[in-house]
Amino acid sequence: MRVLKTATVQFKSIAVWSCALTALASSLLGDGGSVAFRKPAGPFVITLFTASLPLRVGASDLSVMTEDAGTRTPLLDAQVTLTLADAEGHLSTIPASRAAATNKLLYAATPVFPVAGTWTITVRVKQHGKSGEAAGTINVLPAPPAVWRYWPYFAIVPLFIALFALHQRLTRNRAALYARRHVTDKHF
Amino acid sequence: MDTLATAALSSWPLNPAVIILLAAVALTYFRGWLRVRHLLPNKLTVERLLAFWLGIVLVWIAIESPLDAFSSLLLEAHMVQHLLLMMVAPALILIGQPFLPLLRGLPRSFVKTALGPFLNWHALRRFAAWLVSPVVAWLIFTISTVAWHIPALYELGLHSPAWHNVEHACFFWTAILFWWPVIQPWPGRPQSTRWAIIPYLLAADIINTAIAASLIFSDKVLYPSYAAMQFAGISPREDQSIAGSIMWVPGSIIYLVPGVILAVRLLGPAGSLDRLRTSNHNLNRQRRAEQSRKVFDLLRLPLLGSFVRWKHLRRIAQSVMLILAIAVASDGLFGDQMAPMNSAGVLPWVHWRGLVILALLVAGNWFCFACPFMLPREVGKRLFGAARRWPRGFRSKWLSAALLLLYFWAYEAFSLWNSPWMTAWIIITYFTAAFFIDGFFRGATFCKYVCPIGQFNFVSSLVSPFEVKVKRAATCQTCETYDCIRGNDRQRGCELLLFQPKKESSLDCTFCLDCVHACPHENVGILPVMPAATISKDLYRSSVGRLFNRGDLAVLSLVIVFAAFANAAGMIAPVMNWESMLGWSHPMATAAFFALSVILVPGFLIRLCAALGSRVGAVAWKTIAVRFSFALIPIGVGMWAAHLVYHLATGSLSVVPLAQRAAAALIPAARIVPAWPLAARMLSPGWLAPLQIILLDAGLLLSLYTMWRVARNVRSQINRRALPVFAPWGVLALSLYVYGAWIIFQPMQMRGMLMH
Repeated sequence: MRVLKTATVQFKSIAVWSCALTALASSLLGDGGSVAFRKPAGPFVITLFTASLPLRVGASDLSVMTEDAGTRTPLLDAQVTLTLADAEGHLSTIPASRAAATNKLLYAATPVFPVAGTWTITVRVKQHGKSGEAAGTINVLPAPPAVWRYWPYFAIVPLFIALFALHQRLTRNRAALYARRHVTDKHF
Repeated sequence: MDTLATAALSSWPLNPAVIILLAAVALTYFRGWLRVRHLLPNKLTVERLLAFWLGIVLVWIAIESPLDAFSSLLLEAHMVQHLLLMMVAPALILIGQPFLPLLRGLPRSFVKTALGPFLNWHALRRFAAWLVSPVVAWLIFTISTVAWHIPALYELGLHSPAWHNVEHACFFWTAILFWWPVIQPWPGRPQSTRWAIIPYLLAADIINTAIAASLIFSDKVLYPSYAAMQFAGISPREDQSIAGSIMWVPGSIIYLVPGVILAVRLLGPAGSLDRLRTSNHNLNRQRRAEQSRKVFDLLRLPLLGSFVRWKHLRRIAQSVMLILAIAVASDGLFGDQMAPMNSAGVLPWVHWRGLVILALLVAGNWFCFACPFMLPREVGKRLFGAARRWPRGFRSKWLSAALLLLYFWAYEAFSLWNSPWMTAWIIITYFTAAFFIDGFFRGATFCKYVCPIGQFNFVSSLVSPFEVKVKRAATCQTCETYDCIRGNDRQRGCELLLFQPKKESSLDCTFCLDCVHACPHENVGILPVMPAATISKDLYRSSVGRLFNRGDLAVLSLVIVFAAFANAAGMIAPVMNWESMLGWSHPMATAAFFALSVILVPGFLIRLCAALGSRVGAVAWKTIAVRFSFALIPIGVGMWAAHLVYHLATGSLSVVPLAQRAAAALIPAARIVPAWPLAARMLSPGWLAPLQIILLDAGLLLSLYTMWRVARNVRSQINRRALPVFAPWGVLALSLYVYGAWIIFQPMQMRGMLMH
């Protein structure tokens, strides 16, 4: 009996701990940055990162690392701009800054890709009168539907309904078990 | 310090959600630890507490520090991150003996009622025991470790934040399983001889060494994402070797040291079982003692409690709100009629409504507490004596339901949000009505039977997590003075005639706290309650009667529920296009839409659901309709919250130029120029859409749960299964949820901003 009680306490503990840490694990976030391209650009070496691959229509997160081509030291006082051009040649230019970046060695910007297709991204870097630019192409896919984008939040409902149904079933089974035991005890 | 190093060390992602979650886990542990530590002094030492907290801190460092920021640049940073998540943090967390403290740190009723059936589920217990058996735990951990180091899977994690999360979760959870048989957190039972743990650890070290060696001795860069990198003068190949070394040396130490400690312990004297037995006995004693524990009361919190109880607080809050209301009405009458540039076009419609619904969801009916209309109605009482009784025919919620419906329609039909002048007149009308009605009639007639805002707050506060409530029923049973309702020399009693011992839920409660101040036993407080719990109960409620006999309240609730969807739908493109297609005047088209969406369609649906439910047993359809109408309140409040929080978040900056304009008018010498572009700046934070969905989710789940409880009550009367009674109403709630989600993702007209 004591062993059973200990096992029960142990299991309760495991379950509660699991509940708490399940929530925690869902928040174990990483940046998962991917290298879109890395190219020499005059006196610099420019690396463009995207937060995820493939990119989708809508807001995205781009980061740039600029290094001195000779020493390979990251530059922290450069001016970085991104020029985005779609297949039809529409241009938009946005600055990238260290303030917007999580990794303070990078320059980040959050451009919006309004349409899907192949985009040419040109990174221009200026520092102390020197400048360099590197360009590359990125394929932007259409945006997923809202339900797909936010599916974990919509999934809360069926998950809780399923858990509640299970909860009710377990409660009923337990009540039935106690009722049977009660009848048996009275009988004998 | 070197500039590069400074930049690197300042790269903290600092995600608030992660910080809040980790802090909540740490605090829950601490709460439970405080409760049981004196019963288990040998098990729950301060060292255990520190170990647990250190484990949590290391999880935070692994995922929220520069390690994470640099994990895509340097494999070695990524390796340290994984080392913390797999080898250090889980072990420390388990050393903290977290299970009992976490269990005791959670609310007892939650553990017993919600988790109880799962905790006692034999199949799940057997599965959990199987998971932490040494062979299974070792295999799962090893498979996870090896699999995620295969280049294809590792690259998948680097390219996708979602897969990166999965990778980290796998590492963390499988490590919890792996370290379980090693640490054997109390009150776990060993599933194998302790000697077996030594080869268990050695075998894990061999696998770890093999992976590390493959990284160190490989001729090529194994993970292509790092091949392109050459960061801080470290070549990708060197980076990979360093990562392998980190995995090999510290990793091996972490595996081997516990093995050595275990061997030393096994060769030493055995531990005492007696202490454990004493602990179990003490736990039972503690459980009994906790049953008589004091209830949590918001009014007894340090600082906050005494501040809220402060006798003059309500008067001050009302005065501030009154001044604001007068300022807004004056601006509406005499100021610029461009709504986003007028406080009457912004404050009531964008900020006030959003803040009221947030306050209702978080803390209760605090708007009525600070109601600006209280002062004019008290002046009216002094002037006219307030001697008459409110006519019997109007002592219900029918009038207020009609007024609320009229107000919702007028809001859309006359674009009240776009007319400072009309907004001002609504405020003036409100003041006038409060002044005369409560001037002539006894008690809080205006609040109880007329005020549409009050009715909205009363009904919405049924889902609030706090309620003005008696702390101990036994104290009230011995009370002979009933000061809470009758009042006394120093404090009047409840104006809305709510007798505290018989008050169930926050219906008709204005949070005035008169009962709190009047009770000589200090037995009334603001206590936490399960949101919507009382909706499903057929109790006698003071001054309200039986909820399920109140058709007027049911209709009021339905108006609020369906108006939530109609009000939000009224500003989305498909509905606006439909209204313009009618070719009618705007008020007429809006009236048609409101008639359809708040009266006709809801009426038909309620009748249909009630008819289907009543076919199950001998219960009149009206009875079923009334009972289940209240259960729709949570989904309605969820929709209101999702909608109003959207406006509050997107248009929150529009208050800045208004404040600047007011400051410029009050202090001309300061030469403040309003930054009007801020009124056109729409904020669209990334958390907004998820928050809206979560609010809808919560509303739906609470509605479904309440419906289930109502259905079970009906079932117990008719001796049938609950599901057939519940089903039509469940489908109705789900349909409303889908409709609400569809509305949220439609292009929405911006209000209170310079961009509509």
